[in-house]
Amino acid sequence: MKISINKTDRDLDVNPESSLLDILRQEIGLTGTKYGCGEGNCGACTVLVDGEATRSCITPVGSVAGRQVTTIEGLAAGDLLNPVQQAFVEESAFQCGYCTPGFVISATALLSRNPSPTVTDIKSALSGHICRCGAYVRIVKAVQRAAGDGTAI
Amino acid sequence: MNTEKTLLLRIVGPPFAGDVQQTGEGPEPATLLEVFTDGTVAAYSGKVEYGQGIRDGFAKMIASVLTPPLTTDAREIDVILGDTARVPWDRGTTGSASTRTVGVQLVRAAEAATREISRRANSGGEITGPPGLAHLLDERNIEIVISGDLNDSTENSQAPAPLETTARVDAVERVTGRAMYAQDFSTEGLTFGRVIRPPSPGANLRRLDATRAKQVPGFIQLVSTPDLTGVTAKTKEAADRVAAFVRTSWTEPHDDVSDWNFPAVLKDRASEPVVLRDDGNVAEALSGADRVVAGVYYVPYVANAQMEPSASTAIWDDDGNLTVWCANRGPFSERQTLAGALGIEPESIRVISQEVGGSFGTKSQSVSVEAAILARETGRPVKIAYTREEEFAVSTVRPAALMEISAGIDGGGKLVAWDYVAFHAGDNAFRGRRGADSPYDAPSTRVRVADSPSPLPHGSYRSLGGAVNHFGREVHIEMIARELEIDPLEFRLNNLSHPRYRRVLEQVAEMSGWKSRTRGERVGFGLAVGFDAGSYVAEVARVRVDGGTVTVERVDVAFDCGQVFNPDGAINQIEGSIVMGMGTALWETVEFDGGRVLNTGFGSYRVPRITDVPEINVQLIDDATNGPTGAGEPGIVPIAAAIANAVSDATGTSIDRLPIEVHL
Repeated sequence: MKISINKTDRDLDVNPESSLLDILRQEIGLTGTKYGCGEGNCGACTVLVDGEATRSCITPVGSVAGRQVTTIEGLAAGDLLNPVQQAFVEESAFQCGYCTPGFVISATALLSRNPSPTVTDIKSALSGHICRCGAYVRIVKAVQRAAGDGTAI
Repeated sequence: MNTEKTLLLRIVGPPFAGDVQQTGEGPEPATLLEVFTDGTVAAYSGKVEYGQGIRDGFAKMIASVLTPPLTTDAREIDVILGDTARVPWDRGTTGSASTRTVGVQLVRAAEAATREISRRANSGGEITGPPGLAHLLDERNIEIVISGDLNDSTENSQAPAPLETTARVDAVERVTGRAMYAQDFSTEGLTFGRVIRPPSPGANLRRLDATRAKQVPGFIQLVSTPDLTGVTAKTKEAADRVAAFVRTSWTEPHDDVSDWNFPAVLKDRASEPVVLRDDGNVAEALSGADRVVAGVYYVPYVANAQMEPSASTAIWDDDGNLTVWCANRGPFSERQTLAGALGIEPESIRVISQEVGGSFGTKSQSVSVEAAILARETGRPVKIAYTREEEFAVSTVRPAALMEISAGIDGGGKLVAWDYVAFHAGDNAFRGRRGADSPYDAPSTRVRVADSPSPLPHGSYRSLGGAVNHFGREVHIEMIARELEIDPLEFRLNNLSHPRYRRVLEQVAEMSGWKSRTRGERVGFGLAVGFDAGSYVAEVARVRVDGGTVTVERVDVAFDCGQVFNPDGAINQIEGSIVMGMGTALWETVEFDGGRVLNTGFGSYRVPRITDVPEINVQLIDDATNGPTGAGEPGIVPIAAAIANAVSDATGTSIDRLPIEVHL
């Protein structure tokens, strides 16, 4: 099947029932997308599918055939971080960083459909993610900062 | 950066500064710091980065005492952590001790490097600055030896100034997905293992049928040793499928214990309590008191539930040497564990800790041994990556505890007697003792702690038993104040003469507007004070209670960890501690039946989410007259009590057990 992953077209010979997460991590070697729970409860495995935040652990890879998948590795343009990534750096919006790729992806999706979210919008968009280190206060601030930059995402 | 990079100077010394209690091996003097001819620096420590920002803290502390021509940019300091082949021995990353022991010693090493470089520069021509310090190379004096003695006048340390709040040195790796965790590790020819686990600890395997499992594409091998049964496969997905097709029957030991009856069972089965302190005469003081207030408190098992499930990769070479890539906070203790389990010498094992995706005290103690056994039996590199279900079912939990407290108070509202006995599950007395002692002035004080057999594997958790003991004590103090109709702040100040406790209490009262607080109909305020890892902390929680739902609206924290090096790092840790402790206060409890854990997913084990988080205000009391003390753990110790006290304030109902929402 053909899938665009981070703007590179891939022709993959894989079981369409395999999870997108397993394929990304093992077949493609993109380990920035994390396994956290395997049942869509924690958000660590979130990627963009045609711009929409999607739990890759419960997404069969066959269902994204012909679509555009963007992982955490695909957000920056070379060394230039996207505004959400930059804001997470500036706010130190993480501790261990394991959940960070998922949060950054979902926040990026939020800002692309709602460039000026309220705090409630931000919390609601990220409520499916768990940060066990409890960096939530900073995560909200980081998304606000990214939105405030006014940079198109 | 200059590509010509050769070693200019190596600083060698004990890995810890000051009088640090050590047990077991070492610490032998080892390489702490290396300076290269391009002005960059490498630092070595056996500590591990698991979210607390230790790499960042070390890099910034070192950079703050280096002077040009050495780099002063923390990002140019390569901090090498947790690789037993490269770093000094370390007891493990615990007890919020990294900054005050290793960090201080690395600063001393950096100062020694700065002194030596400027001495050489001053005695031998001009400094051109990096790149190009090769002219300062002195082949006969590559190595400088320092002591760990903080009073050594030839190594007088300039205490580094507090660090500016700048981005963490490892931030970009974390937001781009480049940071490599044990779950991410891969290597040529890697195979994937799964352990076939008993449904509860101690169960015996009666029957195993792997016929179907062996037909799964990608199946490699079934391994059956006296220590474990497991399978390996070519991919992680195949390993999961293979494991699912292994049919087993087990004989489980019968134990009529569950989370329902455990408070009673815990005390019934407990050992004789050990007396930690017995001042005055508690029995007499209680009988002579004007008022006696007694209470019983219970805290259930809770799970660390860090985001990265445990993982480990093991590779044996032809000479029988083992290398393990894991997420253990103590690479040297992991090496010892492996040596014991595998019957080989520690020297033939190299443990390399990866970035650790959260720990809070646990990562599986067995995952590396499991991977090593499967790798040994199959002759291939094997990675084991736990599923979330395995992590909940197999990894250790914070021991449950029952606490009984009797306090005697005189007519002036002074505590005259404090009798505290706690029954902590598990056989590690050290854990249950943490935070059991009382800071209050009662002249007759008795503190006792007992162990009790644990049906679940128990382990370390942020502050060990500290947060558990603080819950009992600080809820009981509140209960006394309520019975005496004295303001809880006033009651504490009336019975706490220790100046650092008083200072955090007074500060948090001011921050939270305690004296002018207005209780709404369903809104309450709760106060608690604590001590952990050398630091003092007071917290005020404001909650709203709607039926059986508690919303924590605001938490104020006054925190005294002595001299502060990394204020933003400390505040980040306090915020995280509040959020984590809030989960234990309101929702978290490990449900079990015998040795089986019943809630093994985030759907049934409720942890705090972004929508639960209150406004959190932290003020640091930066008092350089006291040396730096821990910041990673103390924030959690008073929070469950502060929230429970606030809920009692709002509802008029005493909260004597956790989690609150289950019992509301």
